[in-house]
Amino acid sequence: MITVNINGKDIKLEKAVTVLEAARSAGIKIPTLCYHEQLEKYGGCRLCLVEVEKMPRLQTACTLISADGMVIRTETEQLAEVRRGILEFLLINHPLDCPYCDKAGECELQDLVEKYGTAKGRYMEKKRTVPESLEDPVIVRNMGRCIACTRCVRMCEGVQGASAIAVINRGGHSHIEPFSGGRYDCEYCGNCVSVCPVGAIMSRLHRHSYRPWQVKENIETVCPYCGVGCTVILQVRDDVIKRVVPRIGSVVNNGMLCSRGRFGYEFVGNRERLTSPLIKKNGVFEEATWEEAISLVANRLKEARDGYGGAAVAGIASPRCTNEDNFIFQKFMRVVLGTNNIDSSARTGYAGAQSFIENISGQGATANIIAGLSNSDVVLVTGGDPTTVNPILGLQIRSCAGKGGNILTVGHVRGLRHFNPAELRPALFTETLLLEGILHSLKNTKELPGSNPKFEAKIRELNISPEDIIKTCGVSEEDFNGFLKKLSGAANPAIVIGKELIQSIGSSYKLFLVLAINYLINGRVYLLSERANEQGLIDMGCTPDSLPGCRPVAYAEFRRRYETAWKTTIPDKPGLSIFEMMDSAGSGALKAMYIMGENPLFNLPESHASEAALKNLDFLVVQDIFLTETGKLADVVLPSLGWSEKEGTFTNMERRIQRLRKAVYRDGMEDWKILSEVAKNMGVKFNYADAEEIFNEISRVSPLHRDLTYNEIEKGNALYPYKGEPLRGVMEDIVSHKGDRLDAGDKLYLGLERPLFHSGTLSTKASALLHIYPEAVATISPSTAEKFSLKPGDKVRVTTGAGSLSLPVAVDDAVHGSLVMITNNFEGKGAFALIKYIADPVTKAPVIEGIEVHLEKDGTV
Amino acid sequence: MLSEAAIKEIEAIRAKYPTARAALLPAIYVAQREFGWLSPEAYEAVSDILGIPKAIARGVATFYAMYRHRPMGRNVVQLCTNVSCMILGAEKLVDFLKNRYSLEPGGTDPDGRFSLVIMECIGACGTAPAMLVNEDFYENLTEKYIEEILGKYK
Amino acid sequence: MEKVLLKNIDNPDSADIGEYRKAGGYRSLPKALELEPKAIIEEVKKAGLRGRGGAGFPVAMKWTFASSDPKFPKYLLCNADEGEPGTFKDRPILEKNPHLLIEGMIISGYTLKAEYGYIYLRGEYPEAKHILDKAIAQAYENGFLGEKIAGKDVRFHLAVHQGAGAYICGEETALIESLEGDRGQPRIKPPFPVNVGAFSMPTVVNNVETLSNLPYIIEIGGEAYSKIGSPDCPGPKLYCVSGHIEKPGVYELPMGTILKDIIYTHCGGIKGGGKLKAVIPGGISTPVLPPDKLDCPMDFVNMPKHGSMLGSGAVIVMDESVCLVKVCYRALKFFEHESCGKCTPCREGTGWLRSILGRIEDGSGVDGDIELLLSVSGNIMGKTFCPLGDGAASVVQNFIKHFRPEFEDHIKNAGCSLKN
Ligand SMILES: Cc1cc2nc3c(=O)[nH]c(=O)nc-3n(C[C@H](O)[C@H](O)[C@H](O)COP(=O)(O)O)c2cc1C
Ligand code: SF4
Ligand code: FES
Repeated sequence: MITVNINGKDIKLEKAVTVLEAARSAGIKIPTLCYHEQLEKYGGCRLCLVEVEKMPRLQTACTLISADGMVIRTETEQLAEVRRGILEFLLINHPLDCPYCDKAGECELQDLVEKYGTAKGRYMEKKRTVPESLEDPVIVRNMGRCIACTRCVRMCEGVQGASAIAVINRGGHSHIEPFSGGRYDCEYCGNCVSVCPVGAIMSRLHRHSYRPWQVKENIETVCPYCGVGCTVILQVRDDVIKRVVPRIGSVVNNGMLCSRGRFGYEFVGNRERLTSPLIKKNGVFEEATWEEAISLVANRLKEARDGYGGAAVAGIASPRCTNEDNFIFQKFMRVVLGTNNIDSSARTGYAGAQSFIENISGQGATANIIAGLSNSDVVLVTGGDPTTVNPILGLQIRSCAGKGGNILTVGHVRGLRHFNPAELRPALFTETLLLEGILHSLKNTKELPGSNPKFEAKIRELNISPEDIIKTCGVSEEDFNGFLKKLSGAANPAIVIGKELIQSIGSSYKLFLVLAINYLINGRVYLLSERANEQGLIDMGCTPDSLPGCRPVAYAEFRRRYETAWKTTIPDKPGLSIFEMMDSAGSGALKAMYIMGENPLFNLPESHASEAALKNLDFLVVQDIFLTETGKLADVVLPSLGWSEKEGTFTNMERRIQRLRKAVYRDGMEDWKILSEVAKNMGVKFNYADAEEIFNEISRVSPLHRDLTYNEIEKGNALYPYKGEPLRGVMEDIVSHKGDRLDAGDKLYLGLERPLFHSGTLSTKASALLHIYPEAVATISPSTAEKFSLKPGDKVRVTTGAGSLSLPVAVDDAVHGSLVMITNNFEGKGAFALIKYIADPVTKAPVIEGIEVHLEKDGTV
Repeated sequence: MLSEAAIKEIEAIRAKYPTARAALLPAIYVAQREFGWLSPEAYEAVSDILGIPKAIARGVATFYAMYRHRPMGRNVVQLCTNVSCMILGAEKLVDFLKNRYSLEPGGTDPDGRFSLVIMECIGACGTAPAMLVNEDFYENLTEKYIEEILGKYK
Repeated sequence: MEKVLLKNIDNPDSADIGEYRKAGGYRSLPKALELEPKAIIEEVKKAGLRGRGGAGFPVAMKWTFASSDPKFPKYLLCNADEGEPGTFKDRPILEKNPHLLIEGMIISGYTLKAEYGYIYLRGEYPEAKHILDKAIAQAYENGFLGEKIAGKDVRFHLAVHQGAGAYICGEETALIESLEGDRGQPRIKPPFPVNVGAFSMPTVVNNVETLSNLPYIIEIGGEAYSKIGSPDCPGPKLYCVSGHIEKPGVYELPMGTILKDIIYTHCGGIKGGGKLKAVIPGGISTPVLPPDKLDCPMDFVNMPKHGSMLGSGAVIVMDESVCLVKVCYRALKFFEHESCGKCTPCREGTGWLRSILGRIEDGSGVDGDIELLLSVSGNIMGKTFCPLGDGAASVVQNFIKHFRPEFEDHIKNAGCSLKN
């Protein structure tokens, strides 16, 4: 405990913090510009100079560490004079264009000049001018206004770890530039924009469209894009989102955002949004009234149910809808339509992998705190690039590296390449072997802990000779041993599992290996999640085999609990998975389908087969905010309210339940509300006044959510299992499937690219993200480019056994020489059209590996 | 692309330091020699080989006055004009270079034979005025002596 | 006085290890390796050696701090940035007597238990780079550098790190940043380099001349060494004299030699018998002195008492033909060019001062400009991150203090009366 005296006031401190922090803790304001709480100390602007007794020179409060007995003065005549002088220096070359500058009103320089008074304008020379840079579509730089505080650079390099901008030149010529000097080639996190104290780096999205003080409301909600669930603040003017900003102190993302979260909000106001229900008459959509549309849907569903039984109807839920929407969705399917045929796109990886992991490692094994990653001493990354799939989680891995932790990657992980990773890059199709090799070697150095005998028995079965493995995988012995040494020496390790692993050949066996490795090193598992409420929809029971709260539908006692609550009977057999639904629709067994906020045509393999299957249905209703490719096949399309237009909750990959809030008004109904209306028309009363009422029911029926209320959630720490009871203690047999090892040869194979700037197709409705990443491309390695005489921008036809696409070429040396990478984000250019549905028999995840690709130059597009 | 020899040289430099980043300044020298100046390709090459983001490499390089931030003539005349040289006539030599060789400070002559860089003190004050041509020191300069010296550089 | 630092440099092959050894070189090293590191620090303390880079910090004290930090590895950095205008004293050591420096560094490394050393050499000395590289290779070949130095269980590795034109990299924390591959901007202190320096490890930064004193201290002992020159600040000192002087050059003289004697006795007086107008005694950042203030002993202790500083011992002599407004302007142009840009007062203030001086110099100065110069330099002085900014402000303040009429004259007569 130390005591410092600031302006005559004794301040007690737990530990020796900076004088600035000490002052702030006591409510004493010291002016600052280069200081920012998220960033490394700098001490450059000199505004925070203070007087300290017994120190001859003035000291910067932002860097000086307080010591016991220190006597400090922060506001004296002398200091006011000094600050005036410094502000004068800052202004001599600063344009006085506040009336024109978008920053006016929240400009830290402007506020300080206001407080300490302007100088008399003693500078007679011409100001140094730098033209405004509008080369970039998203970020506008106005370097004439830059005060060289370097907050942006410290953010970009030190916190975001993107290192895309730097101070160039020195002295009075210093300013900030991306590498090209004009357009950015960066992650577009926009965190530089957040920290710029003046109007030097700003978002172009709201350029000259509003002034900070015109924002009446700051609505705190959750980002719609991925499973991390960042807190975002929506600044709204006249029902238009003007800007999205993070909040320092928020639990998940603490002041940081990624490109999608910050710049991807424009889909909300997109002109292509559906406005009225559509009914297809003679093959063409006609606008209809809600009454008409809803009664039509109710009648047709009733026909199907009554005519063919609940087994003939199915529903697809949405990882972009709220828990409340999804809860009502499954309740509607089970109670009104009498079916367990409920599933979602989570089936393409996340859901199956999670059940597999939980069977071995226990319920909630993947529910680990994201921020905890940065405190690990080793992070092992498998299955792709976490910095693009879950960017804010990726930052925690970078931060771990920054704190001296070891990053180990299986395969090349682009977003971590500057973080000193120990990489093992197995040859194509030898990842399984490599994981076996790692496990085998670990087994030799580590003792099996004995806590999971069933699992250990399985692990003991593994018997291979690691020397051969290393050779076959094409990794050097030195690298392998170095990797292993770090892994086995870890005290607090974490393992990140991405979808590339889950969607590969023998994925359940690979998962088994990774879990075994994790078991031996006693680590935590992070399962990457691509959609905002993927976890929530599983918890809500939108799976064919479980009820809300992850209660298996097959267990009578669990079923009974819901049957009592809902006064109904629930079929005792698990329903169809999303893939089985497509098969059944194709074969004619399934008659009607309700799809809420999902585009299976796009997000499931074999788009052509899905299309044929959906066309084969007697009745298809699609509820969405845009008219998707799937929607176009529907008999009825129902427009719903989207993110930022409704209340509710999301559950992130940590199982943190967070509030989603309504920020803008739009005519229409929430998904749950539409479903309730349909239910009502089918004679079942779903009487919910609002989302909170639904949530209250959830917390009544779901043991995972017991006693949880919106009030509790507000506090920010509603983590699963909330006062929950432990779930099934029974461990089922560990079954995994190894699959056949392919021989790569010199053929080309399909790879799925998961770009940072897109997530599903939603992001392509946000113009900023589209500007950054405008179209689907086939990304190939320089060697492939050379072999096929292709240069960036050339058109190629990419053909597989399942289909064919024509795409422009991009060349990237991070791409494996045998892969052709394609994104799955652009309508009409979906990669899943090239993928046949072959699944891992255990996780049911489709296999997107080993799909041969034929490449040819294409002049026709 | 860097030559095989340059890559080897950078790798040897890298081995002298505990971090790759520390090899940045010397590696930039190598790349500059290979590419003639610090073109975007030069930065990319250094960035690739040391694993340092290219924007950072550029930010670092532009801090230093002696790197070549734009294409230069075949020979670089680096004339000191700091106080000791100035009071012994360095400014007249600047005029001389301008008149006799069409060399403006910071510029390159029309043939691309020389570029002129005005230097801060180059540590030859006792033999002022002084200059470096490429890596060679020349001291006690006079107009005549400069003519003689520059004659040697093609 | 016997030459220590510039010993043997008239020999055209003085940089060769054979010649150096012939002249007695590498004899202190084995002697030092027989001593306990603590004992060497004790000798250095007795010698009273102070850093020759400009600040005059006691070497033994710095070494004690670094030695007592438990972290390893430690680094020894030789500051060969020699950027202070007017300074060329380290160059003869680097080019003509590199093994003296290398021997000094090995001894220092051993004393500090530092196993890695770098010579941070300014980019403007390409020749010295080649010479040092060669000398280091020779020292490796002869077993003075490497894993088992002189057959003992002592290791020391040495390499040259070349700067690229940035005066500020002479400042020790900026030097470390630059060594680490960053922009050469000074770091926040504390922590000091002796605890958290290069690669975040305990680090000692010493000037070329400082380190080159080590072999001699070992040779004659700290006690004997302390008898050379000023009692408060002993040892041989390199003074480099330039400008309007008969015999410019680097002079090795006892510390504390009177400035006037350096100019008139050792260097033969003002060039061509001209009339002295002003002297900058310690490199451009040190306060200028008028001709009647030259009776000062040139050492770290006495110069401040006489209104200036020893700095790097770079004496710039100016005769009556020199326009001091112009010199002041040129100096500020230098500071503006070399400001790293980290802190506001220096980044913006040096340029402003330069532009005011520019207009006074070219005849467009206005009444009030001198007050403006003083006010702006006052707004810089004491508020900057590192001493560079203070140096710039002090140049302006001292030129005006001693030569104000010349500035007034420029404003009144719209230009320089010396212009022909
Ligand atoms: C702006 C500035 C420039 C400096 N330049 C040099 C230099 O060129 N050479 C040098 O040895 N010390 C220079 N110094 C001093 C160093 O910071 C440091 O004090 C010195 O290298 C310590 O070595 P010493 O104790 O042996 O003198 C400079 C200091 C400042 C503030
Ligand atoms: S005074 Fe400030 S701007 Fe000037 S060199 Fe030092 S840190 Fe850089
Ligand atoms: S806030 Fe302390 S120096 Fe800028």
